[in-house]
Amino acid sequence: AGFCNEKIPPSFLRNIVSTVNLACKLDLKNIALHARNAEYNPKRFAAVIMRIREPRTTALIFSSGKMVCTGAKSEEQSRLAARKYARVVQKLGFPAKFLDFKIQNMVGSCDVRFPIRLEGLVLTHQHYEPELFPGLVYRMVKPRIVLLIFVSGKVVLTGKWCLSLPAAHCYLIF
Amino acid sequence: MPGGRVCGACGCAEIEVDAARGDAVCTGCGSVLEDNIIVSEVQFVENSGGGSSAVGQFVSLDGAGKTPTLGGGFHANLGKESRAKTLQNGKRQIHHLGNQLQLNQHCLDTAFNFFKMAVSKHLTRGRKRSHIIAACLYLVCRTEGTPHMLLDLSDLLQVNVYVLGKTFLVLARELCINAPAIDPCLYIPRFAHMLEFGDKNHEVSMTALRLLQRMKRDWMHTGRRPSGLCGAALLVAARMHDFRRTVKEVIRVVKVCESTLRKRLTEFQDTPTSQLTIDEFMKIDLEEECDPPSFTAGQKKLKIQQLEKALSKKLEDFEGEISSYQDEIESELENSRPKAKGVFANFTKDDSIDDNASSILGEEEADEELEAAANHLNKDFYDELNEKDRVKRNEDGECRNGNETLVRPPALESLLGPLPTAASLGITESIKECISTKDQEPGENTGDGELDLSGIDDSEIDRYILNEAEAQIKAELWMKENADYLKEQKEKEARIAKEKELGIYKEHKPKKSAKKREPIQASTAGEAIEKMLEQKKISSKINYNVLRDLNSKGSNTPKKEDDSTDDSTNTKKLSRRKSIASRNIANPVNSVGKRLRPLISTQFAKKAATEEVTFPNAQAEASDVEKPAAVLVESGPVAYNPDEEVEEEEVEEDEDHCMSALQLLGGNDYGCDMDEDDGY
Repeated sequence: AGFCNEKIPPSFLRNIVSTVNLACKLDLKNIALHARNAEYNPKRFAAVIMRIREPRTTALIFSSGKMVCTGAKSEEQSRLAARKYARVVQKLGFPAKFLDFKIQNMVGSCDVRFPIRLEGLVLTHQHYEPELFPGLVYRMVKPRIVLLIFVSGKVVLTGKWCLSLPAAHCYLIF
Repeated sequence: MPGGRVCGACGCAEIEVDAARGDAVCTGCGSVLEDNIIVSEVQFVENSGGGSSAVGQFVSLDGAGKTPTLGGGFHANLGKESRAKTLQNGKRQIHHLGNQLQLNQHCLDTAFNFFKMAVSKHLTRGRKRSHIIAACLYLVCRTEGTPHMLLDLSDLLQVNVYVLGKTFLVLARELCINAPAIDPCLYIPRFAHMLEFGDKNHEVSMTALRLLQRMKRDWMHTGRRPSGLCGAALLVAARMHDFRRTVKEVIRVVKVCESTLRKRLTEFQDTPTSQLTIDEFMKIDLEEECDPPSFTAGQKKLKIQQLEKALSKKLEDFEGEISSYQDEIESELENSRPKAKGVFANFTKDDSIDDNASSILGEEEADEELEAAANHLNKDFYDELNEKDRVKRNEDGECRNGNETLVRPPALESLLGPLPTAASLGITESIKECISTKDQEPGENTGDGELDLSGIDDSEIDRYILNEAEAQIKAELWMKENADYLKEQKEKEARIAKEKELGIYKEHKPKKSAKKREPIQASTAGEAIEKMLEQKKISSKINYNVLRDLNSKGSNTPKKEDDSTDDSTNTKKLSRRKSIASRNIANPVNSVGKRLRPLISTQFAKKAATEEVTFPNAQAEASDVEKPAAVLVESGPVAYNPDEEVEEEEVEEDEDHCMSALQLLGGNDYGCDMDEDDGY
C-alpha cells in the first residue's frame, strides 16, 4: 500500500507521568486540611490528591514522601509542576526535598495525514484485533514504547521516549 | 563394592548375574555377591477377564525431567501427577467446548497443543482455566480460518468478551503466534445460512461477498468489527434479491448493535458505489477508492475548526466596527439630548448608582474574571463610557439592545469598589496580587538544598495554602466525612498497642503470614510450651481450663499475668482478651509424646470483654472441678460470643467425655505442612 511521503508532522505530547521523592515522612491529614486544592479520602485511597492550575497538573502525594505528578504537557512543565508541589509541601511545614525526579511515561499523539491500511502492516511485534480494538497495537522494543495506529492516520505513542524518536519510527514503519 | 567384577572371597572374576532373580553369584566359590539388584524385566498380571496385562506405568515426557524420588519425596510425586491432571482436565474442557462449537478433531488437537505450551510457560497461573481454554480454541479458529468469533466463545462461557480478548492477546504474544487478521468474507456463509435464504442462499452470499469486497476497497473495513460489515452487506444483498430481512433479524444473527448497522449502511451510502443500480453494481467496478470514514470525519473536523477560527476573527473585526459605530451614535445622541437640571441631576446620579448595584447582582453570572482582566486593560475607556452610560440610563435605554459591551462597564466599576459577594472577594485578592509588587524572593531554602525554587512564584504557592479560618472549616468538614474511618483507625491502633505490649503483635501483612519467628528460649518444657502457644494460633476447639490444669505449676501463673495485664490495660475488652490469652499460655499440654498444634484463631482473641472479676472465680472453679480429670479436653467448640456463660459452659462440658487431644485437634492438623521449629 504505497502512500505519499509527506513530511512527518511533530508529535504533540499529551500527558507526562513523573515521580519524585520528597525524602521525608508526611502527615497526609495535615496536608489535606491545610491545602486549598487537596483531597484526601483515606478509605478509598491512601494518598492526597493535589492539583495546581499553572501547569495544569495533578499530584498524588503519599505518606512515605513519594509523589506522582501527572498531566503536564512537556518534560520541563512536569518538572516545574513537581517543584511547585514540593514547595507547597515545604510551606506546610515539612522538610521536603526534591530527589530522583524521573519521568515514567509520556503519551503523545501525532497525525500522519494519510490513511493507513492496518491489515497490510504485517510486522513482528504488533497485534491487530478489529473485534477488540479498532487500532493496531505495535509494541516497539528498542525504545520501549507502544504505538496505537489507527486507520485515519492518527498515531498515539506511549512509553518513555524523547521527542526526536517518533519521527524515526514513523519512517521505520512506513 | 564391585558387584560384577571381582569376587571378594576368592578373587575370581567370573561373576554370573541373573537378571530375573536379581542376584550376582560368583561361579568360583558360590558366594552371593549381590542380592535383589534392580531388575528390568516385564511382569505380567492376570486381570479379571482372564487375560494378562503387563505391569507398569506410562511416564510422560514432561515428568521425566524431575528427579524421581522413589516415593520418598511426597511433593515430587504430587507434582508429577498434578501436571498430568492439569493437562487431562484441560483436554476434557477443550473437547467439551470444541464440540459445542463443532470444531473438528484436528482443531481440538491443535488447541490442546497450545494449551500444553501455555501450561509449560506458566501462563495458566493466575488466570481462570476456562479463559485460557477459550483463548486456545480461538487461536485455533484464527489459524485455521474457521468462522468462529470471539463473541461466540464469550457467549458460551458467559464471560466479557474483552476479558477473553486480553487473555487471547497474552497467549498469542507468549506463544509468538501471529494470527492472521480476520477476513469478514469468512463469516458470510455462516450468517447467510442462519438467515435462511433457502435456494437463493448461494446467490445472496455471492452478492454479499461482492459488496464486502467493494467495502474493503472503500476502506470501510479497517478497524471495524467484521461482523458489523457482514451484517450490512447481507442486509443489502437480501434486499437486492427481494428478501425481506429486517434490521432486527440481521442483528440477532450477526450480534452487533442496531446503531452500528445503520452507521455502516450510512457509510456505504456515502460511497459512490451506492449510486449504482443493482445490475450496474454486479457488472461494473468503479475505479476510485474512498478514504476510510474516520479519516474523512477527521478532515471534516479540521475544516470546521479552521472555519470557526476564521469566523471568530471576522466577528472580532465586525465587533470592533460596531462598537466604533456605537460610540459615534452615543456621542451624537448626547449632544442632541437635553441634560438633567439641578436637583434632579443629583437624583439621577443616585438612581444610576442603585441601578448599577442591581445590575451587578443580576450579572454575577457574567464572566467576572474576564471582566477583571478587561477592566484592567481598558479602565480609562470604560470610565468614559460610564459617564455617558449613567446619563443614558436616565432615559429609557433605547440603545441597550445591541450594547452588551456597554452594559458591562458599570458592573466592573463597582467590582473594584465595595465587594458585595464572596466570589468577587476571591478574585480581587488575586487581582491585587497580580497588580501589586511581587513579594521578596524567599531566598531561604529551609535547609533542603535540593529543591530549586527558580521559576516558582511564592505568592502563587501561598494561594494554595488555606489560612486559619478556612483550615478549620475544612477540618470540620473532613472530620465529618471521614468519621467512620477515623474511628476504625483508632481502634486498630489501640489494639496494636495492646498486642505489642504483650508481645503477641504480628505484622498483619495481607496474604502473608509471619513465618520467621525467634527461636523459643525456655528453661523448662512447660515454659517452652507456654511460649509456643503464645506465638502460635490457638484453636477454638481446645478447652484451656483443662490444659491449664494438666500441669499444676501452670495454674499459678495466670493470676500473675492477669494482674499485670489489668494494670496496663484500660479497656475491659483488651484485658479480657489478654487474660484469655494468658490462660492459654498457662496451660501446658501434658506431654504424652503427642504433638499439640493449637491454632489461635484471631477471632477468638478478639472477643469482647466480660467482667474481669469473674475471672479469678471462674478459674478457681475450673481448676477445682478439673483437677481429678486426667486429660480432659472439651468436646465442643468454645463459644465465640464472650459472655460470662462461656466460662461456665466450658466448665460443664469438661466432664462429658474424654477424647484425646490429638483426635480433636489433630485429625486434620497432623502431618500437614507446618513449620519445622514446632517439634516438641
